[in-house]
Amino acid sequence: MIAFIVRRLIGLVFVLFAISVLTFLIFFAIPGVDPSRSLAGRNPTPETVAAVKHEFGLDRPLPIRYGLLMKRLFISRDLVSYGNTAVKVVPELTAAAPITFSLIIGAAIIWAVLGIAIGVLAVVAKGTILDPLIMVLALIGISLPVFWLGEVANLLTQDRLHNTFLFSWVPPLGYVPFTQDPWQWFLHLIIPWITLSILYIGFYARVLRANMLDVANEDYVRTARAKGLSERNVLTKHILRNSLITVVSLFGLDFGVLVAGGALLTEVVFGLHGIGYITYQSFQSLDLPVIMATVLYGAFFITVANALVDVVYASLDPRIRLA
Amino acid sequence: MKRAISLSVAAIALTVIAAGCGGSSKSSSGTTSTTAAGGKGGTMLTVANAAPSGSIDTQVNYTLQGWQLYILTHDGLVAFKRAGGSEGTKIVPDLVESIPTPTNGGKTWVFKLRSGIKFSNGQALTGNDVKATFERLFKIGDSPNAGTWYNGIVGADACLKTPKTCNLSKGIVVNGNTVTFHLTKGDPEFLDKLAVPFAFILPASTPAKNVNIPPPGTGPYMWAQYAPTKQIKLTRNPYFKQWSADAQPAGNPDVIIQKFGLTPDAEVTQVENGQADWMFDQIPAGRLNEISTNYTSQVHINPLTQVEYMALNTRIPPFNNLKARQAVNFATDRNALVKIYGGPKLATPTCQVLPPGFPGYEAYCPYTINPGSGKWTGPDMQKAKQLIAQSGTKGMAVKVNTQNTDPQRSYGLYFVGLLNKLGYKATLQPLSGSIQYPYVQNSKNKVQMAWSDWYQDYPAASDFLVVLLGCDSFHPNSNSSPNIAAFCNQSIQAKMDQAGKTGITDQAAANTQWAAVDKAVTDQAPWVAMMNTKYVNFVSKRVKGFIFSPQWYFLLDQASVK
Amino acid sequence: MAEFAYEPEPEVVLAPGEARQEITGKSPWRLAGRRLIRNRSAMAALAVFLGLVAVCLAAPIYAHHIAHTQAIEPNYTGTTVVNGKRVDVIQQGGGKLGIGEIPISPTWHVNYFFGADTAGRDVMARALYGGRASLFIGITSAVICCVIALILAMVAGFYRRWSDSVLSRAMDLIWAFPVYLLAISLATVLLTKPNGLQWGPIHVVPSSLWVPTWIIAIVYVPYVFRPVRGQVLATREKEYVEAATAAGASNFRLMFGEILPNVISTVIVMLPLMIATTVLTEAALSFLGIGVQDPTPSWGTIIQDGQGLLYERPLVAIVPGIMIVLTVLSLNVFGDGLRDALDPRSKVR
Repeated sequence: MIAFIVRRLIGLVFVLFAISVLTFLIFFAIPGVDPSRSLAGRNPTPETVAAVKHEFGLDRPLPIRYGLLMKRLFISRDLVSYGNTAVKVVPELTAAAPITFSLIIGAAIIWAVLGIAIGVLAVVAKGTILDPLIMVLALIGISLPVFWLGEVANLLTQDRLHNTFLFSWVPPLGYVPFTQDPWQWFLHLIIPWITLSILYIGFYARVLRANMLDVANEDYVRTARAKGLSERNVLTKHILRNSLITVVSLFGLDFGVLVAGGALLTEVVFGLHGIGYITYQSFQSLDLPVIMATVLYGAFFITVANALVDVVYASLDPRIRLA
Repeated sequence: MKRAISLSVAAIALTVIAAGCGGSSKSSSGTTSTTAAGGKGGTMLTVANAAPSGSIDTQVNYTLQGWQLYILTHDGLVAFKRAGGSEGTKIVPDLVESIPTPTNGGKTWVFKLRSGIKFSNGQALTGNDVKATFERLFKIGDSPNAGTWYNGIVGADACLKTPKTCNLSKGIVVNGNTVTFHLTKGDPEFLDKLAVPFAFILPASTPAKNVNIPPPGTGPYMWAQYAPTKQIKLTRNPYFKQWSADAQPAGNPDVIIQKFGLTPDAEVTQVENGQADWMFDQIPAGRLNEISTNYTSQVHINPLTQVEYMALNTRIPPFNNLKARQAVNFATDRNALVKIYGGPKLATPTCQVLPPGFPGYEAYCPYTINPGSGKWTGPDMQKAKQLIAQSGTKGMAVKVNTQNTDPQRSYGLYFVGLLNKLGYKATLQPLSGSIQYPYVQNSKNKVQMAWSDWYQDYPAASDFLVVLLGCDSFHPNSNSSPNIAAFCNQSIQAKMDQAGKTGITDQAAANTQWAAVDKAVTDQAPWVAMMNTKYVNFVSKRVKGFIFSPQWYFLLDQASVK
Repeated sequence: MAEFAYEPEPEVVLAPGEARQEITGKSPWRLAGRRLIRNRSAMAALAVFLGLVAVCLAAPIYAHHIAHTQAIEPNYTGTTVVNGKRVDVIQQGGGKLGIGEIPISPTWHVNYFFGADTAGRDVMARALYGGRASLFIGITSAVICCVIALILAMVAGFYRRWSDSVLSRAMDLIWAFPVYLLAISLATVLLTKPNGLQWGPIHVVPSSLWVPTWIIAIVYVPYVFRPVRGQVLATREKEYVEAATAAGASNFRLMFGEILPNVISTVIVMLPLMIATTVLTEAALSFLGIGVQDPTPSWGTIIQDGQGLLYERPLVAIVPGIMIVLTVLSLNVFGDGLRDALDPRSKVR
């Protein structure tokens, strides 16, 4: 087991290094993007531009520039954004992290609870009209583009139905920190939570239902029924528990992707300045330090999530450890 | 100067609204500048999408967003009068007692500082602070206009070569409270240059490197907080006592805050709901109708001295051909561009460089159907196609470069369609707002046609004609070359130099000469001049006393929130 | 002989409603086809999808011959006839100040059925044109992705050892790069190269539809690669492969003769789902401004256009979204049906 974990850790470091080099090379290839100009402010003299270039190490060879960037990012942590020299990248990301986490964790709770509930409901109601109806709704849920859904939600809650009792409580777009005003924090996040979770609710309901139907055909379930256990008992203790393994691993992977910045579209549409939003902005303005930081941050979380899920699986299924 | 770059998200329609019309014949429709004043106190809460880009150092920052705040916290030797209308273009004494007449052919200026003025850290203002401020302009190394505006001071050339040891003892002589400036030659714009934030006086103890929060100043407010991802907070300067209502009046609100992070759309909603008092960013075009219908009294439309244009690269094909440039000018339907902006009440078509109301402006438009009236009335597609055929440039590939947010992107798409109609093979090259401006200035990038705009730094024709179209403003292979069109015409340059010389002694005669330069340049069509826009300000219900200065636009501290 | 008389009945899997004697003796493909055709909801979904494709392909016919409106070129100063009167497509705003310009509202007639967008273009016609781009990118990138993933998975699964290691690690690397970030990076770089990319005779302009197509295809290769590789590994161990090897078949024949036919059903099942995914991804990238480039419309760019008009003319953003939902939904339902037909046993994706 330890060997397995160690192997995964080494893999993680290698992946991060490879991604950082890849990102650096990709963006270095962009022509005409000379950050020294925007760093030097408007209308600078050529001497000014040269001085700024030197200070930021932009006139050094590639490997040294890469090394400087990595050192500033990880070791001295004073990496500065190209867009605004008063902004330090690492603190900026750290400050944005709570916003992303607030969004994702809230949505995750909603989709986990509702997804499981709806999946179980569909199984219990198998044979009635409710089952296919639920599945159709789930299918629609996973077919909605999240950014479009967010726009429509904004249209209804901010404008069209804003003055009705339904949505008059909806505050303007943006984020309020929990420490500043918990109630406002909650109000600002409800609609984004629901929007983000609709896609996953549908998906998880379907997966869980399929898993449960599979498990329901297994021998041990038949045995449990033969023993005389109540249907409810069979459902929860035997079927549900065994079906949840797949769901849990999928959840880990999806959550990892979201933490990595996968909630970008939701953040952009709802004006939540989390990591995804900063990522998007940095790409727009070709702000290489921030790009590098956000990409590495994202890759880190995805790889860690993958590794964690693998570890969970390995601990449950010895065959995988040996692969 | 350019506006601050606001990093909007996705394509939210921003409207740049400015119309040149400084109080002369054309009148702006809608509400006027001033409303009844209110009381003192309270916190004015303003919002902006992002912090002013680049450094926040007063001697480096070149954004409107920064400048509107610096005038509240700092002072120059002289200032633009804090008033609306044409009064606001006058220069009045600020830190000095009176405006001197220069002697020695315009080369020597003797200023006497007022006594009793203190910085926000309690230090008293002395002549040494003045000298140290100008030396710092060179020492910090990245002040944008040190080399172009302030190089007239004796000793500045040496400072440009070795900035770290800059010594202006010969150029700025301090004798107690008397400060004498020695220039290498007369400069009719010297006072204007002293009245902008680059020359606002800082304490001599300010370190000679870029600061992360503006240093203490002499104005009625001081910078209490600058968190570029969160907000700016200005509080009252406890050491401020009003010495001149014209130059630096005491402010009304106790605290002024500017919060960052919302999209312009969300900002509009906040101002509507009274959760913010004013938004810096321009109103997205899609909300204009809404605010003008439901919140009419809170909308202020004011003329601006500004021009939007598409620069045509005069050195590479196809626009190194004069006929091709003129053809595009004839073909452009400026009404469509005005519609993109927000309608004829917010923008006026133009064919020339100088904006209306500017010194040296005389209405001139050759690129219209039925020319002669000086006004643009409609496109002349036939003439355009003729010229294209004569130019022999038909069928060439052209890339149209704009910012990737609206309305600039929509302009770009319009021109792509137009060029295709004229027989070119046009494509759009949209770039993010924060990199487009430096990108299009660099001749290495071989940009053929690029959108840009220009707001006055101060009211002088040279600020447009020389800075944007003078031979000296073109620096090949540099990201800093404001003459995007790479235009350099020797005979026109001679006329510009002449007008500059005349202005030292006779501004009125110089203005006539500048008008001739404007016409000559327009005939050469280095640009497709598009329009002059008006500025729309949207304030919350409780804001009283809205004053719009032609130099600083909305005077934040002159309004009241109580 | 008695000892060898017992032969366990081969496990027979029946789809719901199928009788035992119906399936004896028929090839698995034929059986799958029949099951699919019998699945009414899957067939209905397929009809919806093909219908959408057909309507979108007919976009030029609609724009030029039915609606007589502009869908691509900006049309700020154009006019049209509504209720017998000729009106501007983009009209001056209301209110006392008269600021702002608004496109006309839905006419519910043949011209400007859903109204106009900020540039005065017919939303209905534009949505159809947008469908061409979105569907082209979606289908092509899904096909490219599946083909590449299939080839790579076969190589990795068949040859194993170092080729499997290298390929799997490479896939891990691509997959660790957060999907959207990788797509955004590649798109940003390609779009800022002013002259596009040039490899010998191939010249790719930044505004070409092939740029997003290839980016999306590459980004999802690991996603298809994993399950297919698993299938290849499993199939490799089967007895018939062993038998064929013993009979002297070359590697090539093994791969394409034995393994491929058994693995391809996995890919076929994934294809409609991949198309659904790529359509959604293209819409997201275009919405962010780094997918399809103006003035070429795609559903994502139209939604982005509609953002600024969301409160005034919401249909501009809603119509393309509904078309995306219909496309993705029908593909999902059809994909479900396809999976049920090819393998009635599996119910999980």
